[in-house]
Amino acid sequence: MERTTFPGTLDSLEGIRLVVKEQAQQAGLAKKPTYALLLAVDEIATNIITHGYDENGGSGPVDVLISHADGKLSVTLEDDAVAFDPLKHTLPDEQFFAQPLENRPIGGMGIHLTLNGVDEFKYEYVNHRNRNTFIMKTEPASAPA
Amino acid sequence: MSLTITAEAKKIAKITLTGEVDSLTAREFQKEIERMAAEAPDELILVAKDLDFISSAGLRVLIFAKQKLGTHLNVYVVGAQPSVVETMVKTGLDNSFNIVDHYL
Repeated sequence: MERTTFPGTLDSLEGIRLVVKEQAQQAGLAKKPTYALLLAVDEIATNIITHGYDENGGSGPVDVLISHADGKLSVTLEDDAVAFDPLKHTLPDEQFFAQPLENRPIGGMGIHLTLNGVDEFKYEYVNHRNRNTFIMKTEPASAPA
Repeated sequence: MSLTITAEAKKIAKITLTGEVDSLTAREFQKEIERMAAEAPDELILVAKDLDFISSAGLRVLIFAKQKLGTHLNVYVVGAQPSVVETMVKTGLDNSFNIVDHYL
């Protein structure tokens, strides 16, 4: 398990993407799912920083935990902001995306891209921390002899 | 016999995006769009060949451009990488933007 702690500010996003990318490459995740994972992590990290910390006048860390086992690459973001379940917010439906741009509400795209890009997404609130977990299936390692 | 000729040159705005557009760098992108909007262009060309990453924050700037400049404005996204195109398709932006390989 790799754990990296970043300050909960927008200039951490690049570094967060970088550690996830490095681990995804090590895990042998293909280019396309890697991009989808980076996008998902970036979207949720942005929410944590802007909604969780900034809008509540708070600040704190974003911890990035990464592990790879049993054909699954797992990335977890942990933060100390107020409890925020991204799944509890209205998810955009097809109608949303069919709307002319001028009528579109501003939110909703990020969570849509998140859920669309990963094999599994989980939210938990444990020990006063938000835990957002992204799971990608990786190619099985070559069969043991 | 008389001839009346009315000629008008199209005003084309061109922005080249290089690198990564996330919630931080989207602010710079938005400022550039605002500067462009002051010129009231007829067409906006976004050269996206070297755009490696764009999050929803960047897509919102694209939507903002349409809203600010008028939805009749033609916006061309030129040479975008497959992942960027896919993100635009997933969010339905391919309906409102011209995603092209080349702009001549």
